Amino acid sequence: FSAISQSTMPAYKLYYFSIRGLGEVPRQILALADVKFENVGITKEQWPEFKSKTPFGQMPVLEVDGKQIPQSFAIARYVASQHGLAGKTPFEAAWVDALADQYKDFNNDFKKFFYLVLGFGEGDLEAAKLEHGIPARDKFFPLVVKQLKSNGTGFLVGDSVTWVDVLYAEGSSRVAHEVPGFLDDYPEVLEHAKKIHAIPQIKKWIEARPV
Amino acid sequence: EGPFRHSSSVMPAYKLVYFDVRGLGEVSRLLFHASKTPFEDYEVALNGDEWTTLKQKTPFGKMPVLYVDGKPLAQSFAIARYLAREFGFAGNSPFECALVDALGDQFKDYWVEMFPFFAVGAGLKEGDQKALQKEVGEPARDTFFTMLERVAKENGSNGHLVGDSLTWIDLAIADHIITLQNFSAGFVDAFPTVLAVREKAMNDPRLKEYLDSRPVRHF
Repeated sequence: FSAISQSTMPAYKLYYFSIRGLGEVPRQILALADVKFENVGITKEQWPEFKSKTPFGQMPVLEVDGKQIPQSFAIARYVASQHGLAGKTPFEAAWVDALADQYKDFNNDFKKFFYLVLGFGEGDLEAAKLEHGIPARDKFFPLVVKQLKSNGTGFLVGDSVTWVDVLYAEGSSRVAHEVPGFLDDYPEVLEHAKKIHAIPQIKKWIEARPV
Repeated sequence: EGPFRHSSSVMPAYKLVYFDVRGLGEVSRLLFHASKTPFEDYEVALNGDEWTTLKQKTPFGKMPVLYVDGKPLAQSFAIARYLAREFGFAGNSPFECALVDALGDQFKDYWVEMFPFFAVGAGLKEGDQKALQKEVGEPARDTFFTMLERVAKENGSNGHLVGDSLTWIDLAIADHIITLQNFSAGFVDAFPTVLAVREKAMNDPRLKEYLDSRPVRHF
């Protein structure tokens, strides 16, 4: 850090563990917005002390001029809103928010299966797949396909990329990678992820990211 | 008040469709009343037949849904944030808006955690309310309200969670506290600075007419 001069010091610092997890979407939004940021990886050993300094005792947090914003969606929306990545009208912005919350609702159930896939927690993977993975998927992804089709631009909302496109692309591509074939019934969703990940700033981030 | 205010010069026609409960829809009703914005407050009986047919017409099979000049918007907090931005209750800077949003997300995380207790307290499910209160409600409350208490204090104990004026998160938390107190009197008495937020919100003069006349509901 001592090699970084004052003039190149980023305005933003993003703090998270050195995994993708909930930090990846904020990171990709910052990259997409072409905003310089310090991507700080907090280790398990550093976490207890750092935790007490965060507003909610959680990460990720975005530090802006020394003040912290917690919650990955709040961070994503904050950065996105200032860089034209949150919808072109208030109503579009609200639809971006609605789709993000819908994703969270889906994930609250889906993660009961997916966390086991990723190696977190204990449980019967096959049982979790039947009870949570498949039902959650089949309740949620038809709605996503419907939204993509009715919006008709290749993006979820409006005619340009928003932070919720980044959220969905990260989620769906991760699932497709970790559980091969799991989203084969939803080709439009996989196409959407490919489209978003082909955006130059995101492509560059994905190629260069440490995890 | 906020950085966003009435994006169009002509007031759109608003219709809020929700169950005949307070729940996660009441914050939006409060925003309409606090801003004196006319809207159609369309209530659907919680255990009625109308919901079965209406459900398929909603974007995600859930309520509330806000119709703005006939165009639907789903998700309770996306609706609340949209209305708050239109009417000036979202925060007084982009940073404040982000903090309000973060508290909203934290509230939703807490909501998921305590839902098994809430569902029984609200009579939506059968169960042992006392046991669920101890095993689910109280731990969820302790995590969330301890954080809220600290946030309210660090904000200056001024009766708001963020900044110095009423925001949608003040309203959401204030109305939720009423529900918690209905389920178990004194449930959040250990969090006086948060209770002060509830006091200030519920005594806002702009809400008096509505609060004096709205139906008394358990949740």
